[in-house]
Formats: sequence, structure tokens, C-alpha cells
Amino acid sequence: MESKPSNSPSSLVDQHVFPGDVVLDLSKMTNQTIKLGSGLRQDGDAISAMKAGKLRFAKPNKYWVESSHKRYVPCAGDTVLGIVVDSKADNFLVDIKGPTLAFLPVLAFEGGTRRNIPKFEMGTLLYARVVMANTGMNPELACMDATGKAAEFGPLKDGYMFESTTGLSRMLLKSPPCPLLETLGKKLAFEIAVGLNGRVWVNASSPSIIILVANSIMKSESLSPVQQKIMVDNLLQRVQ
Amino acid sequence: MEQRLANTWRMTVNEKKFIETALLSDLRIDGRRPFDYRNITIRFGREDGSSEVQLGRTHVMGFVTCQLVQPYRDRPNEGTLAIYTEFSPMADPSFEAGRPAESAVELGRIIDRGLRESRAVDTESLCVVAGKWVWSLRVDLHILDNGGNLVDAANIAALSALLTFRRPECTFGGEDGQDVIIHAPEAREPLPLTVHHLPIAITFAFIGDENTVVIDPTHFEEAVMGGRMTATVNANGDICAVQKAGGEGVIQSVIMQCLRIASVKAADITTKIEDAVKSNNTERALRKIKRHPPSVVVDVIKAGEKGANNLLKENMEKPQLKIEDSSFSQGDDMDIETESSKQDDGRTRTDKDASFIGGPSSWDPYSKGVNADELKASLASRVAVTSPKDTTPLVEPPVTVTDLPVTSTTAASSSTETTGAGQQTNKEKTLKDAVKPKHKRKKKTSAS
Repeated sequence: MESKPSNSPSSLVDQHVFPGDVVLDLSKMTNQTIKLGSGLRQDGDAISAMKAGKLRFAKPNKYWVESSHKRYVPCAGDTVLGIVVDSKADNFLVDIKGPTLAFLPVLAFEGGTRRNIPKFEMGTLLYARVVMANTGMNPELACMDATGKAAEFGPLKDGYMFESTTGLSRMLLKSPPCPLLETLGKKLAFEIAVGLNGRVWVNASSPSIIILVANSIMKSESLSPVQQKIMVDNLLQRVQ
Repeated sequence: MEQRLANTWRMTVNEKKFIETALLSDLRIDGRRPFDYRNITIRFGREDGSSEVQLGRTHVMGFVTCQLVQPYRDRPNEGTLAIYTEFSPMADPSFEAGRPAESAVELGRIIDRGLRESRAVDTESLCVVAGKWVWSLRVDLHILDNGGNLVDAANIAALSALLTFRRPECTFGGEDGQDVIIHAPEAREPLPLTVHHLPIAITFAFIGDENTVVIDPTHFEEAVMGGRMTATVNANGDICAVQKAGGEGVIQSVIMQCLRIASVKAADITTKIEDAVKSNNTERALRKIKRHPPSVVVDVIKAGEKGANNLLKENMEKPQLKIEDSSFSQGDDMDIETESSKQDDGRTRTDKDASFIGGPSSWDPYSKGVNADELKASLASRVAVTSPKDTTPLVEPPVTVTDLPVTSTTAASSSTETTGAGQQTNKEKTLKDAVKPKHKRKKKTSAS
């Protein structure tokens, strides 16, 4: 493990890669198992990129290519914001910006039984979790966590939902909270739900706060942390 | 069926409700007020008659082409103008390739009506031989991104493309003098179209139970709105066309209010388009000059030397004045030194923003007091020195400054050659002299 950073691939981690770039050379790193995520594929001994983006590496052995899209490729375990499109006998059809609609079983709610099937009108916004995403099948969602608790999943009332890119969603969800939300949160009170499919829902007491938060989030995608802070400070000064 | 469901863009209940509630307090989701128009950016392609308009996120490209055709029977001496729209599925997943949607047809019709029925483009000037050959103009509008209010954006794109379009000149020739010869743009300068006025389409949306009026709706607002009205108005306040779409009924006073607002906005947009077209025209003219780079470079050197020599001669004719000055000539030299360094700073600064506007107008003052060679030299030097920009007329000091160093240095170097390096005072004089006439010239221009 220790020897790996000295290998050639480490130079590419967190760098931009393009389709066809050879990212890893397996012949140089025998007796290691690595896990490949999206955007990478194996050609014999070479691991090459299939899409443009930044190569990411997570300890101990995961590699994937991260990029910002307007469309979403479902992936098990992601939390997403979906819009109810249709309801069938045992499934809701939910749009999660993926290539196909996702199924949300009517029983996939906390304490869900045949008796208490929730009713959603068309266009209801749902915060849900992708349970299964296999190729060639519609992805499956659930409105409960792995232990069967509701855990904040479910329909979102009021507020405003806007669509951005998957990159922006990931930025907002980063674990040291992104400076944008931090600075906004110090001055304003608002609720936010971020789906990894590039949808963001914001709610606050007054429409003007919602508009301010939503617009500053939408504008922040290409800004560095410092720029984000400056922009938010300027905005807040102008408002107050 | 399901695939189509996945591809259509849909809106949540939350958004719809929010847009309406926010509008009740005069707020829109992008932070505008109800009667604020989005920012318009107009850009032009390298070719004549191509334009790209951005209205917020909406992005439309316009392209004008022309063709010689037979005129319609009932209008033998009028050219034709046709609008074609192209809704790419890339702009919006709900657009289908190939089959034009209802909205695509409507958009084409509104723009067509605004342009044609108000006779904005002079079609009679497009006639070559009555009853035989007329120019047929084709305006292609490509929707590249749909951020709402496609009509207005496409209309601006069409207008700016038409304003920058130039049709090839044609004359009669051949054996019997009846054949139409179309001249290549290199041979003869193509002719711009005659556009009498600019009919600007302004779209209003009526949203919610109380029919709140908003101008320039985004595609979110378009999804929510109950009705829509497009008024095509020109800067003079003439109403060229009105299109009311959507079921919502609107009372007369609201329509009158919309029309008043539309005419104000139309005046704004007209000036925007005209400014963009004007700057494009000057840029086009400048591009022409750069078209033969090698010959120009040769000219620079020759003409530069010549110009410098001329300067030298002029100054040698009146040496007495210089000798009187020579008592404080050293001080003057110092001045010149510092000034030229300043000039250099100025030049580097102007070089950075190398897009140059308003060039040709500023050349004229030169031609007044200067002989042709010198003019050429200064022009050429300007082109060679990656063309510093001058938006302001020549009277401004930084502009006169830009081509100063070139001539002064050549003058200095040539003076050492021609007059011989012998006399120190003489050399000083000539260096100063090389600069002096420019100062005079500056005074002259400022006086005029």
C-alpha cells in the first residue's frame, strides 16, 4: 500500500483525465486489488478513462472519475430528489433525471403496508434513496434508510426546487461543509435538501430568502471557496 | 411511452406554487422584478449575416443567406424573405428532432409577421431583374438553449443577423448584356440590406389567479403561465404585430399597459442591437485592413523610414527656432524620455484588450495635416503593433501616444545615419524634433 503513491497513477489522482487516457498500469502494481468506479475500464493491464473529469482516489483502493453533468446516472446508495410522474398499482414512477424513470415501491415507506399506501399527486417532490441501480433495469428507490426508518426521506412540502449539475450537488454535500452554505447559514435561516442527481430544494420563511439562497447556489458552481464567501457577503450586504 | 415520459422536462408542484406566491410580493425566481428584462448579449460570427444572441440562459443563433430566384408572379419586383426555425433536442429534451413542434411553428410565424408585414426589410431593393431575378433571403434561426422566451431572443437574433448581412453585388454582363454577374466579395464590396426599422418582439406572461404580468418569462414561468402575449413594437412606438397565446383572458387596460412597457423596452433593445451592429461593422472594416498581412509589413518598414525622413526634412528647414531652444534642450530631453516610458506603459495597457473599436473614424484627423506616406506609416505601425485599441477620438492623449514611440525611434535612428553622428547638439535637436511635430499635431486636432 505504501508503495502506491510513488507509482505512476498517483500523479493523475485529482487531475483532469480524458477518455482514452491510461490511468493505471496494472503490470506495475501486482498483488493489489483495486476497485473501479464510474468512468474507468480495464483493457488488459491498462485501466483507462471513459469519460472526461477528475480522477478520484479513496483509500484504500477505490478509483473513479468524477465530472459534472446535467444528467444523472443512478447509483445504489445515492440520495436523490425525484418527481412523481405516475402511480401504478405497486409502484410510483419517479423522475430522477436518469435515463429511465425510477420505481418507488408503494411499500418502501416506514411502516408501509398495503393498508396505508401514500397518495402523491403528479409532480410531488420526493427525497429518496436509490436502492438498486442495475443496467437494463429501472432503478429502484426507497423512502426509508437501510434500517427501515423514515430518516427525513419522503415528500417535500413547499419551498423551491431547482436543477443544477451533479458536480454542484457534490460540492454542497462535501463533508467539511461548503463555505457557501456555511456563510449563508450564519445570516439566514433556511432548509435545504440536496440530491446527488443535481436537484436542490430550498425552503425558508419568506420567498426573498429562498430566491437569494437558490440564486447564490446556482451561481457558485464555478467559484472557488474564497470567491463563494465574497459573493455571499456582497449579496447579504446588498440585501440588508 | 415510458421513454418519452423520462425525456420530458417536468415541474414540481412546489415550484409552481412558489413562483406564484413569490410573484405576489413582486419577486421572480431569478431575482428580477416583474418588468425587468434579462441581459442581452449579441455576438457576431466571422461571416456576414450570422449572429448569436444570449438572453439569460436562452441562446439563439441566426444566420442569413441569400439566393437568386424567380419572383412570385404577383410581385415581380420584390425579393422574398423567409424564416426557418430549427429546434435542436440539445436545447431542450422536449424538442423532437425533425418534426417541428407547435411552438416552433408559432415562433417562426410571429417573427415572420413582425418582419414582413411591417415591411422592415426593403424587399424591393432586392430585385435584380423585374420578373426574372430577385434575391431571396433566408433567415435560419437555431435554438441552442431554451431558457424561456425564445420568441424575443430569436427575433433579436434575426434582426441582428439581417443588419449585418451583406448580399453580393451583381451587374449585367455577357455578350448581350443580359446575363447577371454575381461578384465575389473579394472583387466587389457586398451590399448591406436596407432595413427601415427594427420590429422588436416583447413577450409578457400572465401568471396565477390574479393574472400577474411579467415581462420576458423564463421557461419556469412559461410552464406556469396561464397566457402569453407577444407585442412586436419598434423604437418609434409603432405596433407591428400582437400575438396573444394561451387561454387566459386579459382585460384591455392590461394590454394597453403592456404595449406601453413594450415600446419602452423596444427602444432599449433597439439601441443595444444598433450598438452591437456598429461595433461589428467597425471591427469588420478593421479586419479588412489586416487581410493582406505580408504586404502591410513591408509597407511598414518602407513607409516608416520614408515618413521619418520626411519629418527630418521638415524639421531641418527651421533650425533657428531649435537653436534658441537649445539652452534648455536637455531638460526637454528628459521630458521626452519620461514621456516615452509613459507611452510604453500606455501601449502595453492598451495591448491587453486588443479588441479594437472605432478605428477608422480616428484615422481621419491624421489625414488633415499629414502627407500620405506618413499616414500610411502611422497606420501600418498601428497594425503591426498588434493594433492598440482606441475607442476615444484622437484628441485623447493615450491615442496619439500609441504610435509615437515607433516613429520617434525610427526618426532617431535614421537621423544618426543621415546627419552623421558628429554634432551632438544637432542630434539632440533631431530627437526632439521627431517628437515635436506630433505635439503640434495634437494641438491642432484639439483646436479643431
